[in-house]
Amino acid sequence: MRRRARSLALGAASLALLLAAPSFLERGTLNDIWNVAFAVILASAWNLLGGFAGQISIGYSAFIGIGAYTTALLALKGVNPYATLPLAALLGAAFSFVVGLPTFRLRGPYFTIATIGVSEAVRVVATGVAFTGGSSGLRMPAGSFDFTRNYASMVILAVAVVSLSAWVKNSPFGRALAAIRQDIDAAESLGVHSARYKLLAHALSAAIVAVAGSLFAINFQYISPGSVFDFRLSLSIVLMPIVGGLGTVGGPVLGALLFGYLQIKLLSSPALRDSYLFIYGGMLIAVMLFEPKGLLGLFHRLRRAAGRAVSRPVPDAG
Amino acid sequence: MKDLVAILVNSLLAAGLYATMSYGLAVIYGVMRIINLAHAGILMLGAYATLTLYSRFGLDPFLSLAVVIPVFFGFGVLLYLTMVRRLPRSSSGASIESLLLLFGVWLVLQNLAYAIWTGDTQSILTGYTMKSLSVLGVRVGVPTVAVFAVSAASLVVLQVILRRTYLGRAIRAVTQNRDAALIAGVNADRISAVAFGIGTAFAGVAGSLLATMYAFTPDFGRSFLLKSFCIIVLAGMESVAGVAAGSFLLALLENVVGGYTSIPTSFQDALSFLLLVVALVAFPHGLLGAFGRSSLRRRSIP
Amino acid sequence: MPAEGAAPILEVRGLQKRYEGLLALAGIDFDVSRGEIFGVIGPNGAGKTTLFSCLVGAVRPTTGTIRFRGERIERLPGYAVVARGLVRTHQIVRPFREMTVEENVSIGAHFGSGRRRKEDADKRVGEILEKTSLSLRAGALAGTLTIGELKRLEIARALATEPEVLCLDEVMGGLNPSEIAEAMKLIRSIRDSGVTVLMIEHHVHAVTGVSDRILVLNFGQKIAEGTPSEVVKDPEVVSAYLGTEPVESNL
Repeated sequence: MRRRARSLALGAASLALLLAAPSFLERGTLNDIWNVAFAVILASAWNLLGGFAGQISIGYSAFIGIGAYTTALLALKGVNPYATLPLAALLGAAFSFVVGLPTFRLRGPYFTIATIGVSEAVRVVATGVAFTGGSSGLRMPAGSFDFTRNYASMVILAVAVVSLSAWVKNSPFGRALAAIRQDIDAAESLGVHSARYKLLAHALSAAIVAVAGSLFAINFQYISPGSVFDFRLSLSIVLMPIVGGLGTVGGPVLGALLFGYLQIKLLSSPALRDSYLFIYGGMLIAVMLFEPKGLLGLFHRLRRAAGRAVSRPVPDAG
Repeated sequence: MKDLVAILVNSLLAAGLYATMSYGLAVIYGVMRIINLAHAGILMLGAYATLTLYSRFGLDPFLSLAVVIPVFFGFGVLLYLTMVRRLPRSSSGASIESLLLLFGVWLVLQNLAYAIWTGDTQSILTGYTMKSLSVLGVRVGVPTVAVFAVSAASLVVLQVILRRTYLGRAIRAVTQNRDAALIAGVNADRISAVAFGIGTAFAGVAGSLLATMYAFTPDFGRSFLLKSFCIIVLAGMESVAGVAAGSFLLALLENVVGGYTSIPTSFQDALSFLLLVVALVAFPHGLLGAFGRSSLRRRSIP
Repeated sequence: MPAEGAAPILEVRGLQKRYEGLLALAGIDFDVSRGEIFGVIGPNGAGKTTLFSCLVGAVRPTTGTIRFRGERIERLPGYAVVARGLVRTHQIVRPFREMTVEENVSIGAHFGSGRRRKEDADKRVGEILEKTSLSLRAGALAGTLTIGELKRLEIARALATEPEVLCLDEVMGGLNPSEIAEAMKLIRSIRDSGVTVLMIEHHVHAVTGVSDRILVLNFGQKIAEGTPSEVVKDPEVVSAYLGTEPVESNL
């Protein structure tokens, strides 16, 4: 109970701080925060399916694209961009069913490969189809840009998603997902309808990511298949929670902060910019070989080791 | 009628290459139940290695295979010993950790290629690249025929190894029933290292061959990787003949779609991707053991 | 004791399961009455676990019917069978190792038959932990339990689903004599609380001591069905267990 209250206080305080930031931070830093918030949303949302339920999908850029294009196309028709968010969420969830229904029959790595296949197919189609503006992309209508509102909405969504993540983790739904991840057959033998919960987690995370995509379009004013349906984007989304700590609430946030920092460093140094694949790949290798539980796992392991070194052995309580 | 012959000939020629490319993936999966995403990176490296050997030393791409095969075999063994072996073995076989690890290796290889050779499109032009000859009345490029010849030869050699040597029998045994093979005294670690070496060597060879036919960039492994997955899912991996048949099927489909419809080539890639998904989903019992209920067959009958 | 003349809670007819070339179950017929303790014995490979897998929907039978409370369930997926009140434990325990004992049991409580609101589910978990003597280990990670505790956890999880029929698959495997006696006591108390129990067991003493009726399988076929005293005297049963000690019972 005390833990719940503490987390709530933390969440409220962070939100208040972030919302107050425009009054004392300069635009450049606010931009960075916006980027990190975007990353946190993607990483935490993906983690619902990938971390909690253990279904690793490397195809989430498709949902960003769906959100971005829904908003851009409707905005060009005169609709208020913010009014398109619910529709973007709905379409994201709908597409997640299209992908999930056939592929959730697959297990582990086979599911992952199928998601790669689907997302590539989506990208190819989006580039080729006319109404998306093809490979030259779409530009949002002029006059729709308001940074303060963009910033606020992204930050609010980020805090909301992390809170949702924490709530899900401790709920029966979250426990079902954890059971599915650890032993799907045993879960089914206890009454867990695994397909239903996988689809639900997928739809929830897809909807959130689609909304993030919409906010992306609103802020960047210009989108193209290359920018939103990018495989590298799908890759980053997967790497953040894995490096930070898969299946935890704090892991994706940690990973997002790390990647946000890296992005900033990479963009400022041309030499590093060309090595991003090396850095991403190296991180994946390092995590898989040495600490599959990511940074958070490493932190806990070190803390336990430090605890053992400090305390004297206690007789077995039996 | 002429069209039909052309489609068949082109499909057959393409199938040889696809089979060589897929077998590298199949042997690693068969022996270790590991999905080697680095396969794409190795294909790409094979192409670049051939390019360098050609532009730097003037070595004909087909002759350079004599260098590529041992080097890539060694690289594969090294990869296994330094990284893959350290992974925890998951009880169900295929693990997500190995998938992601090899994915990381692929990314690193890509970056290496960008750094050494830049992202510019490369191609290999030899004296015979533009020449063509007539096969069954169909005009085909000389490189295409040579590639097919090499592919076919490599698969024949493979069959011989699998059927006639201890090593080959051990590989087949572990592929079909790992536990029984271990009880029979097969050294799993050594077989896995060799299998990884063979898989990598085949990928390298396929990459070299691809380089004689296509232009390439460091990114080019991806669509071939997905094609290879498609083939081994359709065909299973317990027989070279199965991989060959699956390769022919895919090549035929591509040629039919390309020949009779006006769908552009980029969409054809999407077609391979979707076919992969369909194949994964629609081919349950036993092909990759990907489905829950059929995985019961992997364990001893309760 | 089972009610006389009442409709059987479980009716199995012509159950067959073929795996590629191996006929694991060759056509089994039997009935289980409500409130019985029904034993299933037979040499290794006789098809006992396959039978349980078919009953709970983990495996789809090749042919045959299974009627649970009059409803045909042989084509239902596992979670749907559990929702109707038929559940099993696994021969090789499958705990969720990264969860605590309490969380493990709560999965059964939240997703079994008759979903409860969260408060009720928590109370139920506590009661079951008491019943299976796991209360002291409630907060321990399942990965740290002993084999005896893990077996009890299997049972606790299954009980949490509020079954009408509980299928126990070799819960006494690996237990010492005092643990076996405890297990027998637990099984009787489960039956006394209104749950019908089927149990696969190798410890023939334990099975004959606790069961009302026994089914004997060999090579996927039924070779005997009846009370323990009838079954142990059946010559086919004795020859199936050839090479083992003459069967003693606790009658």
